[in-house]
Amino acid sequence: MKKSLVLLVVLTMLGGILAGCASQGKQSVLDKITKDGKVMVGTSADYPPYEYVDDAGNKTGFDIDLMTEIAKRMGVELVWVDMPFDSLVAAVQEGKIDMSISCFNYSAERDEQVDFSDAYYTSEDAFLVKSGFAGAIVNPEDVAKYKIGVQSGTVQDDWLTTTLVEAGLVEDANISRYERVDQAALDLNAGRIEVLMADYVPAQALVKQYPDFQVVYHAVLSTGPLNIVLPDGDAKLQAEINKVIKALQDEGFIDTLATKYFSE
Amino acid sequence: MNFSSFIQYIASGTAYTLGVTLVALPSGLVLGVLFALLYVYGGRVVSRLMSLYSTVMRGIPPIVLLFILYFVMSGSVNLSPFWAGSISLGIISSAYQMEIVRGAILAVSGEQMLAARAIGMSTLEAIRYVILPQTLRLAIPPWSNEAAIVIKDSSLVYALGVPEILRRAQLISASTQQPFLAYISAAVIYFALVFIANRLLARLERRLTIPSNP
Repeated sequence: MKKSLVLLVVLTMLGGILAGCASQGKQSVLDKITKDGKVMVGTSADYPPYEYVDDAGNKTGFDIDLMTEIAKRMGVELVWVDMPFDSLVAAVQEGKIDMSISCFNYSAERDEQVDFSDAYYTSEDAFLVKSGFAGAIVNPEDVAKYKIGVQSGTVQDDWLTTTLVEAGLVEDANISRYERVDQAALDLNAGRIEVLMADYVPAQALVKQYPDFQVVYHAVLSTGPLNIVLPDGDAKLQAEINKVIKALQDEGFIDTLATKYFSE
Repeated sequence: MNFSSFIQYIASGTAYTLGVTLVALPSGLVLGVLFALLYVYGGRVVSRLMSLYSTVMRGIPPIVLLFILYFVMSGSVNLSPFWAGSISLGIISSAYQMEIVRGAILAVSGEQMLAARAIGMSTLEAIRYVILPQTLRLAIPPWSNEAAIVIKDSSLVYALGVPEILRRAQLISASTQQPFLAYISAAVIYFALVFIANRLLARLERRLTIPSNP
């Protein structure tokens, strides 16, 4: 008797959860944004110069300025939601935030969960080493010979896993994955890793911070175009964002931003 | 960035750390005491259920429950990062606090319950006037452990982007490239919080001591 009561309670709870999932409508997020007059955008503000906090604790950076302008053009208020990078895609997927700009690149795996805007900027990958590095990196696959560090969950991590680990060039255990790129930089400085793979622009920022570091190789490997992460299957929102990005590219706004944040 | 604004930026996360703790710890206490009483006096079936609850909740890493509550359940309950974090820490803590209180109940001899019943008290009266007053006093020392753990576990809500001490230390570490200073500052603040909490609890313990019952 009591057992069946417990079962009933559990089933009711499960039913509630499932019903909740099913009742999510297919209304465009754009309608919600226009109606509320605000857009909730996720970012992980720990990746200078794309997104970071300034002396006053305010978010700043290339992506931050770009999104501020996009929201302005859409005529809505911009609400930033800071979140660790690993959590951002899940947050867009679950509708916790409307979109995310955080130096994201298109990847097929991510595309299954969420959608992407058109590219707003194209970036390269870089291999960083500390002075005294005796090896040579002529082809990108050469890094397989060294202890490699990378930020986990990034496209660089993907590239290393696909190009090196799955091809049998390197043991997975030889790749150190860090939650954030500055942690990886600490380990490169300490000699725990020999090569750090990162986006070219933040890599250059690290060289400024650590004079012993240098970029020994850079090219478009994993990275390439940067995109805004959008909810899956929301064509209306995607079209609106793409329209604004296109306008900002045509006006040279994005090039001006790149000069501001990425020039030496 | 100058030193004082650096520290200030991290320290201003203390409000969130305290907020999460002040939701999780008391709600865990209320549930913990209730569940411990149900465990001990609730009869066979309820007792089994409580035991199951304790096993499951102590077996799940807090961060996993946090992700389940925030991301997986978002279809039915839309919680903010702060509440998803506070509630999941409260649930996990309730299982630990239940075991603390249960241990304390068992430490009060079972004959006292018999004696109370024999002089005509109902079970509820016996719990209220005989068992609980002793139990809660006995529970303070192990409970101060749990308080320290919850204060420190509150840092887990950083994973949902709540700007508490740890997340602020991460952000400032990334923008200034001063990880050592950032994390040491965070450590000092956490230490101070735990230190103060333990001092307050020790004082409470002394004030509530029953002279004849050391």
